Amino acid sequence: MSEQTTKYKRFSLARRIEHLVMLLSFTTLGLTGLPQRYPLAGTSVFIVDLLGGIENLRSIHHIAAIVLMFGTAYHIIVAGYKVFVLGMRMSMLPSLQDVKDGWQALMYNIGRAKSFPQMGRYTFEEKMEYWAFAWGTIIMGLTGFLMWNPITSTKFLPGEWIPAARAAHGGEAVLAVLAIIIWHFYGVHIKRFNKSMWTGKMSEEEMLHEHPLELADIKAGVAERSIPPSVLRKRQMVYYPVAGILTVVMLAGIFGFINAEETALTTVLPPEDQSEVFVPQTPTPRPTLAPTATPLPSPTPVPATATVEGGSAETAEPFTGPTWDHEVFPIMQAQCTTCHGPAAMGGLNLSTYADTLNGGQSGPVVIPGDSANSLLVTIQEAGGHPGQLTPEELEIVQEWIDAGAVESVEPVSAPVWEGDIAALIQPKCSTCHGAAAMGGLNLTTYADLLNGGQSGSVVIPGDSASSLLFTIQQVGGHPGQLTPEEIDHVQAWIDAGALEK
Amino acid sequence: MRRSPQSLRMDRRLLILTVGLFLLITVLVVLTAGSAGAAPSFQEVSNDTCLSCHSQPDLSRTLPSGEIWSLFVDESHFGEAVHGQEEIACVECHERNAVFPHPEFVVADLRGVSLQLYQTCQKCHAEQYSSVLDSVHQRAFAAGNFEAAVCTDCHNPHTQKRLTDETTGDILPEARLHIPETCARCHNAIYETYHESIHGAALTDEDNRDVPTCIDCHGVHDIQDPGTAQFRNDTPLLCARCHTDPAVMDKYGLSTDVYDTYVTDFHGTTVALFEKVHPDLPTNKAVCTDCHGIHDIKSVNDPEVGIALKENLLIKCQRCHPDATVNFPDSWMSHYIASPIKHPLVYYVNLFYKIFIPAVLGGMTVYVLTDVYRRFIARGKGEAH
Repeated sequence: MSEQTTKYKRFSLARRIEHLVMLLSFTTLGLTGLPQRYPLAGTSVFIVDLLGGIENLRSIHHIAAIVLMFGTAYHIIVAGYKVFVLGMRMSMLPSLQDVKDGWQALMYNIGRAKSFPQMGRYTFEEKMEYWAFAWGTIIMGLTGFLMWNPITSTKFLPGEWIPAARAAHGGEAVLAVLAIIIWHFYGVHIKRFNKSMWTGKMSEEEMLHEHPLELADIKAGVAERSIPPSVLRKRQMVYYPVAGILTVVMLAGIFGFINAEETALTTVLPPEDQSEVFVPQTPTPRPTLAPTATPLPSPTPVPATATVEGGSAETAEPFTGPTWDHEVFPIMQAQCTTCHGPAAMGGLNLSTYADTLNGGQSGPVVIPGDSANSLLVTIQEAGGHPGQLTPEELEIVQEWIDAGAVESVEPVSAPVWEGDIAALIQPKCSTCHGAAAMGGLNLTTYADLLNGGQSGSVVIPGDSASSLLFTIQQVGGHPGQLTPEEIDHVQAWIDAGALEK
Repeated sequence: MRRSPQSLRMDRRLLILTVGLFLLITVLVVLTAGSAGAAPSFQEVSNDTCLSCHSQPDLSRTLPSGEIWSLFVDESHFGEAVHGQEEIACVECHERNAVFPHPEFVVADLRGVSLQLYQTCQKCHAEQYSSVLDSVHQRAFAAGNFEAAVCTDCHNPHTQKRLTDETTGDILPEARLHIPETCARCHNAIYETYHESIHGAALTDEDNRDVPTCIDCHGVHDIQDPGTAQFRNDTPLLCARCHTDPAVMDKYGLSTDVYDTYVTDFHGTTVALFEKVHPDLPTNKAVCTDCHGIHDIKSVNDPEVGIALKENLLIKCQRCHPDATVNFPDSWMSHYIASPIKHPLVYYVNLFYKIFIPAVLGGMTVYVLTDVYRRFIARGKGEAH
C-alpha cells in the first residue's frame, strides 16, 4: 500500500449530503436575497425577471430558508448524537490554539515564522468558516423571522425593529456572500482544490499538509474512541427521547416561523376614495353654454292642481316653479333610476310621476309642499347616497316639492292673441317675420297675421291642422323654432278660433 | 270693351316689372339670409351672415327627446374664444350649413347633437383627435357608453379660450387653474373631493400653479384607465415626478427623498420591481395613494387625518394588515433616512455593518493575500512548507 493510494475517510455520505443541501440553499438565498437589497440594479432586475417576478423570487427565497432551517435542526441533532452518545471530541470548538495557529500562519506567510502551524481535524480556517456560518444563520434566522412575521413581532417589540432587521439581514447577507467568495473559494478551491467534501476521502499527503495532528492521532489509534456496546445503548436510551423532544420543538419552531401570521391581505386593495366616476353637473354633458339666462317666453300656465281647485286664468297666479315633466324627471332619470327605476330598489320607482308620489317600502318619499320632511330630500341632504344629486339638483327638487310637487303645467283657458300668443310669437319670429316680412309674412300685429304671406293664410281659425303657422312649426327645424309647449299653445289658440282678445 | 295694344303692352311691362322686382327682392332676401345658391364656399358666408339668426338668444329647436337645443352663439364669447381670435368662419366647421335653408339635421336628443358634430374637430386637430382614440373615454364610448366625453364636452368650440402658448406649446398658467372645472362637468364627485384636497385647495384657493391638476396625473386626450395594475404600479414614479424635484419641493419644505426611501422599503422594493418586470400584473403592496389618498390627499400634518400621527397611520396599515397593532406603524420609516435621531436602531445597525463588513472581509483578504504570496510567489524562489 503506497502513500499515494492511502485514503483517509474524512466525511461520511450524510455529511456530504448535508453540505450539498446547505450549499444549494445558501446559494439560492444569496441569489434571491441580494436582488431584494439592490432592487434597481440591472442584475437584480435580470434575476427577478428570470425567476418570474418578485413574488416568485420571494417564495423561492422562503423555500430555501425553510430548507436551511431543516438542515440546521438536523445538524444540531446529529452533533448532539456524536458528542453525547458517541463521545466524540468537539473538534470544531474554537480554542486559544486556533488564534495562535492563525497568527503563526500569517507570520509564516510573510516570512516571519519558520514553519506553518501543525493543525488537527479542523484548521483555524475551517473553524472560522463554520462559526461564521453558524453566526450568520442565527442572525439571518432571527431577522428573517421579524420580516416574515412583522405583525406578530410588533406585538412584543418596537416597530423600528422591523426595518432594523431588514438592515441587518441585508448587511449580513453581503458579509456572508463575500466571505464565502473570499475565504471559502480561496481556501478550498484555489489554494488547493479540496475534493474531500465530494469524495469523502483525503490522501495521506493531503492529510499531512492540512491535518498533520489528526493524521498522527489516526496513526496512533487515538482518533476514535471505541465505546462498549452496553454504554452506547445506555446513552442512546437517554439521547433518543431528548433528541425526539428537541426535534419536535425545533419542527414546531419552524412551523411557527412559517405560519405565525397572515401578514397582509393577498388581494389588491380597492382605493379608499370610492367617488362615483361619472357624476355630471348637468344631466347631459353640454358642449354649449346653457341658454338659461334668457327665460323662454311661455304661456301663462298655472299648476295642474290650481286647475282642479278652480279659478279662472285671470285670477290664477302664473306657475313658474319646477315641474316633474320639465325639471325633475330628467334629474331622476340621470341620477336615480338605475336603482329606483323599474327595478324599484326598496320598492321605490322614480321613473314616473305617479310611482314617485307612491313612494317605497319606507313610505312616501315626497310630501308635496314640505321638502324638509320628504325622504327624497332628507336622504340626499345627508349626503353619500350612491346616486348623489349635486347641490343644484337638490335645490331644484326641494323647490319642486315646496311648490306642491307639480307634474306639469297646462293652459287653463283658451289662449288669445293679445298678451299671450303675441308675446310668444314676437321674440321668436319677428326677426324675419317682423317688418322685414320674409316671404311676405309679417307677424307683428293680429291683422298682419291674418293677412298671411306669399303662401297664403297662415292661420285658419278653428282649424290648426290647415294652419301653416302650426304645421310648419310641427315639422320642426324652422329657424325660429317654438318649443313643443309653445306649439301646443298655438294649436289650442287656433282651434279655439284664434281670437284676438 | 277691347283693350288697346298699348294697354296690353303696358300690362306686359307691368307684369315683367313686377316679376323682375319680385325676383330681385327674393334674391336679395335670400342673400341676406345667408345663401347664395348651391355650394357656396365659406369665404362667401361670413360669420355675420350666420349671426343674423344665431345671435338671437332664444333661437332654439326642440328635439324629439323634448330637450331644447339652443342654437344661440354668443358673439362676445366667441370673440374671446381661440376660434374667434383666429377668425375661424362658422361654416369651416358647420360646412353643411353654408346653405339656407339648412339641410335637414336629424337628431334625437342633445347628446346626439354633440356626437354628430364633434368629428369635425379632426379637420384641424388631427393629432389631438387621434390621441383621444387611445383613451379611456373612447374605449368607453366604443363599448356603448355614449356619455363618454368627446372633444366638445371639454372644449366648447364657441367659447374655448387659448390653452397653450402659441410658440412653446406649454399650457398657459391661467389655463391650468381651470382644468379641474372642465373635468368636473362629468366627474363632479371627484372634483368635489379634489377641491378639498391639499392639491386642489391650493389650486383653487391660492392660484398655486405647482400643484397637479387632473391632467398632470391622468394625461390629456389619451387619458388612460386609472384602475389598471399598470397605472397603480406606475403611481410611485408618477408622484415622484414632482416630489423628487427640489425646484418645486424646496418651496414647501418637502423632502425629495420620498421615492428613494420608499423603494428602499419592502413595499417600494416590490412595486419598483413589478414596475420593471411585470408592469401589467397587480401587486398587493402599498403604493403612494394607498396611504396618502388619491383625490383626497391631505397634508400628513392635517390635524384630523394626517398620517404623521401614528393613530391615523395605523388605520391605513390596517386596511391591508387587519391584525396590525399599535407598534406596527413604526415598522415603516415614514420616508425618513435613518439617523441618530430618526430611527436610531436602524442607523446603528447600518453603521455596525458599515464597519463590520470591511473589517471582517479586510482581515480575510489580508490573510489570503499573504497566503497567495507565500504559495504562488515565494514558492517560485524555492521555498515551500
